[in-house]
Amino acid sequence: MADQKRWGMVIDQSRCIGCWTCAVACKEINNQPLGYWWNRVLTAPPASSAKAPASENVDVPAGEFPNVSLAYQPTACQHCQDAPCVKVCPVGATFRRDDGVVLIDYERCIGCRYCVAACPYGVRVFNWGDAQHADDFTVGYGEDYRSDGRLVFTPERPRGVVEKCTMCAELLDAGQEPFCVEQCPAGARVFGDLNDPNSEVSKLVNEEGAKRLLDELGTKPDVFYETAARRDLGDGSTQSGSGA
Amino acid sequence: MVELRRRQFLGGMAIGAGALAAGPRLRFLLESEPAGDVAAAATTAAKRQVFRTGHSNNCDGACGHLIEVENGHPVMVKAAPWEDTAISGALAQKFNPRICLRGLSQIQNTYSPDRVKYPYRRVGERGSGKWERISWEEAASTIAQKFGEIQAKYGKPSVWIAPYTGSLALLEGVVGVGFRLASVIGASAGDFEGDNEGDSATPAGWNYVLVDPTNPDNGGGLFDGHEGTDFLNSKLIVLWANNVAETSIPDWRTIMDAKSKGAKLVVVDPRFTPTSAAADLWLPARPGSDTALIDGVINYLITHKAYDESYLRAYTVAPYLVHPQTKKLLRTTDIGLAGKDDYVLVDSSGQPRAAGAADPKSVQLLGTFDVGGLSAPTALQVLADAMAKYTPEHTAEITDLTAQQVTTLAALFATNHPVGIRAGFGLSHWYHGDLTMQALLTLQALGGNIGVHGGGVTTFAGGLTTTAFDLPGWWAPEGTTSFTVLEPMEACDAMLENKPYPVRAAWFMVDNYAQQMSDRNKVVKALKSLDFLVVSDYVMSATADLADIVLPACTYLEKTDLLSSNNFYLQYMPKVISPLWESKSDLDAVTLVAQEMGFGKYFDKTADDYLKDILHIGDPDADSNVAGLTWSQLTSGAPHLNTPTIPYVPFFDKSFPTKTGKIEFYVEMLVPFDQAVCDHKEPIEASPSNPLFGKYPLVFLSTHTRFRTHSQYSNLPWLKEINNGGQGFLEINPADARARGVKDGDVVRVYNDRGAMKVYARLTEGIKPGVVNCYQGGWDTVKVKHYIEGHPNNLTHQIANPTQAVVPNFRSNAAYFDCLVQVERAKG
Repeated sequence: MADQKRWGMVIDQSRCIGCWTCAVACKEINNQPLGYWWNRVLTAPPASSAKAPASENVDVPAGEFPNVSLAYQPTACQHCQDAPCVKVCPVGATFRRDDGVVLIDYERCIGCRYCVAACPYGVRVFNWGDAQHADDFTVGYGEDYRSDGRLVFTPERPRGVVEKCTMCAELLDAGQEPFCVEQCPAGARVFGDLNDPNSEVSKLVNEEGAKRLLDELGTKPDVFYETAARRDLGDGSTQSGSGA
Repeated sequence: MVELRRRQFLGGMAIGAGALAAGPRLRFLLESEPAGDVAAAATTAAKRQVFRTGHSNNCDGACGHLIEVENGHPVMVKAAPWEDTAISGALAQKFNPRICLRGLSQIQNTYSPDRVKYPYRRVGERGSGKWERISWEEAASTIAQKFGEIQAKYGKPSVWIAPYTGSLALLEGVVGVGFRLASVIGASAGDFEGDNEGDSATPAGWNYVLVDPTNPDNGGGLFDGHEGTDFLNSKLIVLWANNVAETSIPDWRTIMDAKSKGAKLVVVDPRFTPTSAAADLWLPARPGSDTALIDGVINYLITHKAYDESYLRAYTVAPYLVHPQTKKLLRTTDIGLAGKDDYVLVDSSGQPRAAGAADPKSVQLLGTFDVGGLSAPTALQVLADAMAKYTPEHTAEITDLTAQQVTTLAALFATNHPVGIRAGFGLSHWYHGDLTMQALLTLQALGGNIGVHGGGVTTFAGGLTTTAFDLPGWWAPEGTTSFTVLEPMEACDAMLENKPYPVRAAWFMVDNYAQQMSDRNKVVKALKSLDFLVVSDYVMSATADLADIVLPACTYLEKTDLLSSNNFYLQYMPKVISPLWESKSDLDAVTLVAQEMGFGKYFDKTADDYLKDILHIGDPDADSNVAGLTWSQLTSGAPHLNTPTIPYVPFFDKSFPTKTGKIEFYVEMLVPFDQAVCDHKEPIEASPSNPLFGKYPLVFLSTHTRFRTHSQYSNLPWLKEINNGGQGFLEINPADARARGVKDGDVVRVYNDRGAMKVYARLTEGIKPGVVNCYQGGWDTVKVKHYIEGHPNNLTHQIANPTQAVVPNFRSNAAYFDCLVQVERAKG
């Protein structure tokens, strides 16, 4: 028990400034094609719903001037314990490792896209065509990575497969943190072992009330969010809490 | 508890970097430039090579990058670690690896489809986009010949060299080799401070209060601020017109860490930015009314006696008497007080004393005293009298805030110490930006917040430590005289009207003057009038569009340099990859031209050797900030400078290079400008009191966005995907939009008497009614248009504030935001 990790992440929306650095970092290390984003940053009321952005336009707040509020929700694979994508995959290509990381075996995926429809967070993308890139050489991690023999990362995913956040399994297995966690300039992402009650992520979940997205669906994500705390000084236009 | 969490998190980062070194997949080596051809060295290696470099673009980040290179290509950019120690070996601090979305996009920038790949000669009309590829030899000899002819005909300064802030490295850009060329050939050049387009007003104000710019020891004016990590020591952080969350992204972590430790965060900004959203108190003051808001706080502190009396006595001119007629600081000779001529203070018994003879612990701070037949107030009394009208109600009226908001802010200043203010350069984009900085420093002096950890007013940090670099020797080698200074604000008149002398040729080095300078229609007219225009850049900019010769420049990955700007670390920049196509560093390009002009002897060293010279490596008399630095230390990591205190704090010893040696919030030299104290003045243009306001009732801001750095990276595919496809837009409040029949996504025309632009409207409640904003820096080039028509700078002006001329280094400033427009739905 003590040895079995369950990797989890807590995103502190009080710190998140919607800068998209995590998303660009993800794009870089995973050599994502033009137009594809495994990780997106929604301009959203905090945590209440993954599918209700405050605005289609980045930075446009809710409310009426000057009583406005604004928060951001970086959104990638939630690495659910009870993942709908795993359940619906007819070929067992999407699977959850013992450490909680949900991955896609690119050699087994048949591109049926059941998982895309099943995912309530809208974080899976499908390779309709051949990947287009800005540069004519491959960037990022740069080589295949297999987990228990299964191809869970390859720099050029083939046409006709579904792809998504891997929690940087290749880095985790080498004792490192996911790339978005390392590169976040706001220190908004905390990563660790949810099986360890003394880990930062466990404390944030158990003691500071970090929440799951769409908790009511019972998917039990291992990615959590700390709701944005906003203005707390009386200035005549105070809005505390979510602003949702 | 939260603080502990962050610390542990930082520790994790450091361990992560260590783990990389032993990682199973790659051997991570921190290497300096390999001998010989870089690309060849990389090709022969089976592993990836890893280089540490500094990202030398024009932003506050000064981030360190780790670059992985495979088969001659940079394939990975990530945040680089910093040394925990100073050059001396003393423990400095833990400093987070830092990067943002722009830094992570640098591979795309280096391989941008907009790169200038070869030297070109113009073959069509200026701006027609018709070019003929030429060799470097032909380009260099043409430039040499034209410069020679023009200098012979119109005088040496008629050639203007403009190396600016496109790069903040040492050998190129803002303090780079262009100035050396200008000195060697006797040309004129833009102010080396570089921050002269819209970034000189607040530095001028900083000098009014903290520096005597007439003292040659101060080199014409200084500018500095607190090291970013020092805000961890603040109890109250005020981000005054400083959208840190977008423009200095890696510093956000420090702000949040300080907040986790209990600091309160105030943001003053007419826009509800990501920074404003995170504030404990957001104050959307009317743009241009900032000085009045500061004055309201000052008045509160004085009337509530909530100022630091002992600090004011010890370190400021507060107790100095002011001559009631001349308004200058009173001298002992004015009142016949015996002894050496000195300033006059009043002791506890009401008797005048020479400043040198007074007991600083008991001198009078407030009051008007009869001395030698004069009725002379103290400087603090003069300030108090001038500020008295800024009651919360009056201040609220000027600033469009409520009296309660003013009082809330003032009470925060009264009850917290230390208070750290970060003032964005946005404050400098105003005609009276100098006055606003003067006011902020006055406020900070009252609270005893200058020269202390966690305090200060910071816009830019690292300026005073540039004494560590032998810039005079770099710019004007022995046997030459320093270039003639011609500011960007003065250049158009020199080109169009021969004032103060004719400029007939120019060489811009990674400087996009034709788009980024204010009053763009005037700028384009001026550039088109030139006899000869050279532009070296790595992309085909709006300025390059107008050139006679375009030279392909390198990005930061393709040349050797050093970054030591905006923070207190030395970051050696090795040549990570060979220059792509036929691009050359500024140093190599200038060397070729200088050789053709017969000045090759001044450009006969390698980049590394120039760096050794400038840093005085191995010289026992090297500046204390870099004393003991070795070449291997410089090229194997990023050490902290040997600053007197870490985090660095300007004037930590409370020794101020002013005439009095004190903080001069009473500014004697500004008496002729009616600005001895920081009494608010309305903007030159963007004020409801301006008759023009009837015709053009909207204040036009052109701020920065996180999706580019000025005009760099605007066209990178990844960044465009997350920034409206690269398409610019005008932020407008729905109330202002409704009044004009404008809906979200409509095309609007923005105009005033100077020009117009067309752009899509974006309705947002995140901007104050009466204010509109269009992010600057999108491109308007022959090939790329990020606005439907024009650019924000078609609307801005070049009205200089003569007050600033008292500070030679910051003598003129483009007041980009001090601008009024009207907006209408575009027809058709």
